[in-house]
Amino acid sequence: MKLNRNSVIYAAVFTFVVCVAFVVILAIANQVTLSRVNANKRLESRTAILKAFGLADSTTPSSEIDSKYTQLVTEKSVGKTTAYTATIDGQTYVAVKLTMPGLWGPITAVLATDPAGTVVRGFEIVDQQETPGLGGRISEPWFSAQFKGKKVRPDGTIAFEQGSGKGNFDPNNGTVDAITGASRTSDFVKALVNRELVLARQIGGTL
Amino acid sequence: MSDVGKTSVPAKISPAGKVMRDGLWYNNPIFVQVLGICSTLAVTNNLRNTLIMVLGVSFATSMGSLTLSALRELIPRKVRMIVQVLVLSFYVIIIDIVLRAYQPAISKQLGPYVGLIITNCILMGRAEAFAASNPPGLAFLDGLANGLGYGWVLLVIAVIREFLGFGSLFGFKLVGDWFTPWTIMVMAPSAFFLVAIALWIANNYKAKVAAAAKPAVSTGAGASAGQGGKQ
Repeated sequence: MKLNRNSVIYAAVFTFVVCVAFVVILAIANQVTLSRVNANKRLESRTAILKAFGLADSTTPSSEIDSKYTQLVTEKSVGKTTAYTATIDGQTYVAVKLTMPGLWGPITAVLATDPAGTVVRGFEIVDQQETPGLGGRISEPWFSAQFKGKKVRPDGTIAFEQGSGKGNFDPNNGTVDAITGASRTSDFVKALVNRELVLARQIGGTL
Repeated sequence: MSDVGKTSVPAKISPAGKVMRDGLWYNNPIFVQVLGICSTLAVTNNLRNTLIMVLGVSFATSMGSLTLSALRELIPRKVRMIVQVLVLSFYVIIIDIVLRAYQPAISKQLGPYVGLIITNCILMGRAEAFAASNPPGLAFLDGLANGLGYGWVLLVIAVIREFLGFGSLFGFKLVGDWFTPWTIMVMAPSAFFLVAIALWIANNYKAKVAAAAKPAVSTGAGASAGQGGKQ
């Protein structure tokens, strides 16, 4: 029987078959890589938590992250948020991972601090979709390095200010440099950091 | 669409060679077809992202053209665009899946841009203009040539933008702290200027070559051509 390529039935059957065939292949590819993708996500999150605690840096090989994490970090569920605690040199620190809105998509970040929430131990961005080269610079090492050892201001917040653009590394002024050309992203990160400080203090109080 | 280019293609050249030359220069997607400009604006502020984008587009165009060309006798005319989009998005999603699983850092940086390869007009353009009426092997080459033709222009623009915008190439800092990055180079508008300048240079050059070639081509046809060549 000769197929009539112009018939509606042929078009419908052909489209259906082609759709099913390609979608099945995609579903298989997705399923095959799923565990790997999840492992990548977990590794990313654990790396950020360890970095915030100051227990890892960019030179730490990814093969050591999992063992370090299970050894040193304790997960603790408080209400809806998961808190992470770690004892470093006899002192306990609390870290909070939180996702809040950004300019283009949600920003996820980890903030580690002492249980009273007075001195920041470290801050790491886990995930963000800000403008590359502008707001996206919140992922650059100098930006998160500003938070290391930063004393929180008496009102319990960290301030974001227009600075030199090179970073504000004075531990006593409770202020970090915002990102040049990305006022909105800076505002979103400021809200995220200060919310994390509030949560960290709440959780730190229960320890 | 490409009359400027066609006149300059030398005669007696294999179909494969012609397809490659067309994609890379005479019918370059950026310079002549003016396609794929959106992604040119979006990803060229960083060389590494540009390179991944170029590889992704080249893969999707070449494999998409190959598949669509192989199916061309079977595809009903009425639904051919639906099938084209389906096949091309299939390859784009494959790229996305592979990047997410094996290159998570790059996948994260490129974010939505990988999925947006499907909106690159080069893919549909080649499927419709070439793959629909040519054999699979040639269609594959055409897709590849167009991907690479798009690619080298993007890479040139990315070198300029990343160097001036960040002072680095492929993320390696090349200049000291004295360098003040040009913020404009990081933002999309700078790509508009650079693409426009590149188009201007390329088309100016092409017009000159075409003008120089004309008298030579018509030498056999008329005596006046000889005089034209001297001007």
